[in-house]
Amino acid sequence: MRSIIRSATLATGVLIALSTQLVRADEELKIGVVAAESGSFVSAGNTIVAAANLATKQINEAGGIKIGGKTYKIKLYIRDNRTDVNVTIAAARELVDDIGVKAVWGTETHDFSVSMAKITGAAKVLQFSGNSSLGAVLEDKSVAPGGWLHYTFQTEPQEWQRSGSTAKGVLTLLTPLIPHPPKHSVVFVGNDATGQYLSSHYVKALEAEGQQVDLVKYPPDTTDFSPLLTRIKGMNPDIVHFWYNGDSTLTAFPQALKLDVAPAYFLFGVDPGIYQERQLKSDKPVALSCVPVCWGAAPNPAVQDYFKKYFELGAAKGPQSSVSLLYYDYFFMYAKALEEVGSLDNPDAVVDAILKMKYQGVVSPVPLTFNPHHQVTFATEVSVVQPGTSDQFKAAVEQPPTAPPPGDPGG
Amino acid sequence: MEIFIQQLVNSLSVASVTILIGIGITLIFGLAGIVNFAHGEFLMVGGMITWFLVNAGVNFFVALVGAMIFVGALGLVAERGLFRFTLERPMNGFIMSIGLSVILQHLVIRVFNEVQKTIPDPVGKVWVVGGVNVIAMRAIVVALTAVVVAITYFGISRSRYGMALRASIADPDTAALMGIPVRRYVTGVFIYGSVLAGLGGALMIALFPITPFTGSVVIIRGFAVSLIGGLGNVGGAVVGGLILGLVDGLSAGYGSPEWTDAYALVVMIVILIVRPQGLLGGTLGPRATG
Repeated sequence: MRSIIRSATLATGVLIALSTQLVRADEELKIGVVAAESGSFVSAGNTIVAAANLATKQINEAGGIKIGGKTYKIKLYIRDNRTDVNVTIAAARELVDDIGVKAVWGTETHDFSVSMAKITGAAKVLQFSGNSSLGAVLEDKSVAPGGWLHYTFQTEPQEWQRSGSTAKGVLTLLTPLIPHPPKHSVVFVGNDATGQYLSSHYVKALEAEGQQVDLVKYPPDTTDFSPLLTRIKGMNPDIVHFWYNGDSTLTAFPQALKLDVAPAYFLFGVDPGIYQERQLKSDKPVALSCVPVCWGAAPNPAVQDYFKKYFELGAAKGPQSSVSLLYYDYFFMYAKALEEVGSLDNPDAVVDAILKMKYQGVVSPVPLTFNPHHQVTFATEVSVVQPGTSDQFKAAVEQPPTAPPPGDPGG
Repeated sequence: MEIFIQQLVNSLSVASVTILIGIGITLIFGLAGIVNFAHGEFLMVGGMITWFLVNAGVNFFVALVGAMIFVGALGLVAERGLFRFTLERPMNGFIMSIGLSVILQHLVIRVFNEVQKTIPDPVGKVWVVGGVNVIAMRAIVVALTAVVVAITYFGISRSRYGMALRASIADPDTAALMGIPVRRYVTGVFIYGSVLAGLGGALMIALFPITPFTGSVVIIRGFAVSLIGGLGNVGGAVVGGLILGLVDGLSAGYGSPEWTDAYALVVMIVILIVRPQGLLGGTLGPRATG
């Protein structure tokens, strides 16, 4: 009888020990991801999910996050917003109210992120969104403790910074390759909310560089650009800047080449890797830029290594794969901030820790920091393809200007 | 002047792809009585099949035939498996076709991926005539569209089968009593319209990249063309396509560019108010087919 009791006690002890270990192994940090896995923004949306999966895998495989004596593994709750603002709001509500996530990544669609911030902010859930148009609402009052954007971070540079960095890079690279210094630029942009916001800053950045600028907007979802490109040809531009939407640019640019629209082109958001894969070729000089760093012409070994791992996880090689870098580094920043604070339940302290942090990520050769308006700063890579080739690129990284150009309200 | 002529040349090629889509819709919608909102996705699938075959090393023009066959087979499956059961209730078919379009989009994303697809220009030539750039592949698209229009027009208006088809539309019950297999004609028209969508998709990817969502954009124009011209009227689809192409080209060139789509749709609204039956007249659209 005594041996039975002893065995039972031993077995119970083992079970308790095991269950304690199981509980420990089950400590999880719930993080939400809201992204377009379907609908018209799927190309950008999938990059957020892929970046989140890669960062989570790396953090968890490295042992997880040590917070207040416990080790946490990240568990992602990924929600497809179907490129629909109503689904986005419903997803944010579910993640915040029902699942109880501590932070949310996304979305790729600028105005959706603002809607989501009203939900995350009220629940003191941190939000990381790679949308420069947040700059219009991230201000002293909104980011202060108690403000509705206190827990929101803009993981893409302010638009005047990106525009300034890009405009300078484009003109530096293209000017030596065209017969006379460029004076007249046409910016060709999709006529949606994002296109309107982004191009307003880019036009000012080009004007600050001495360009006379015409803005031509096309309806979103245009496939045949030939009538609009013919109109632009009649304006006699020195450079046509295809701005904002990489997919539309890849549709329009070959048509521009066939119609011989301009002596030089700039393709925003088109990765050299895609230019090469599509075997695009132009006898006119072409500059390309990525949001924010290119996978087809990675500027340093850290970026090369990142994209190697990113594609190994099964992510598609697309014009917008680089967008993933607007989301990746911030998982590590958030994890570091949680470790410093030592608690999952003190979001205000986590916000403070992130604001004080200098983190050497992949996206930038200089450490990432957030300014008091919760906005990050880094340069945009621009490269130029050697005329007549599809695979010979020269890159330039021009640092962003220190202040908005004349006429640009900033933000 | 060169710019103006260039705009006219552009308009012709814009019109050609629209006409191909419009003919498929006008036949299926106007003659078979089926409102297939997934017709745009049929076109997209045609483009994706062409992309797949060209990437596998198949010649573009062989791939084009492959796309037509595949989408024709898809049409057969859709008509037999879905739309056949909604002939008495066209609205059910309409809602079903919206579901089918979403399913096809996501099947394509699952099988390939969401990334935009493109193929190298199969001809790759540009002729400069008097300062106007004529893109060879666009000229081929215009020529192929003209051939399809001619075959379809004479097939419907002059052949025995065309006469039987028209009889089936005018009075299905009497046509059935005369021994015309009305339902088989409906299937035939649906497959033929689907084959044209496959052709449209193949020609489209030769001109522009396509994505899994291309279909949802072109379908609106397809319906606009078929309504402007007159449902079931092939000549009407040609006239409708040419009008929309010209409005697109000239409004983009000389109007406010961001309003390009709106100009074309305003023209459609005005025409439908002034001539509800379409410019060249047509059927009354979807109705129960016996």
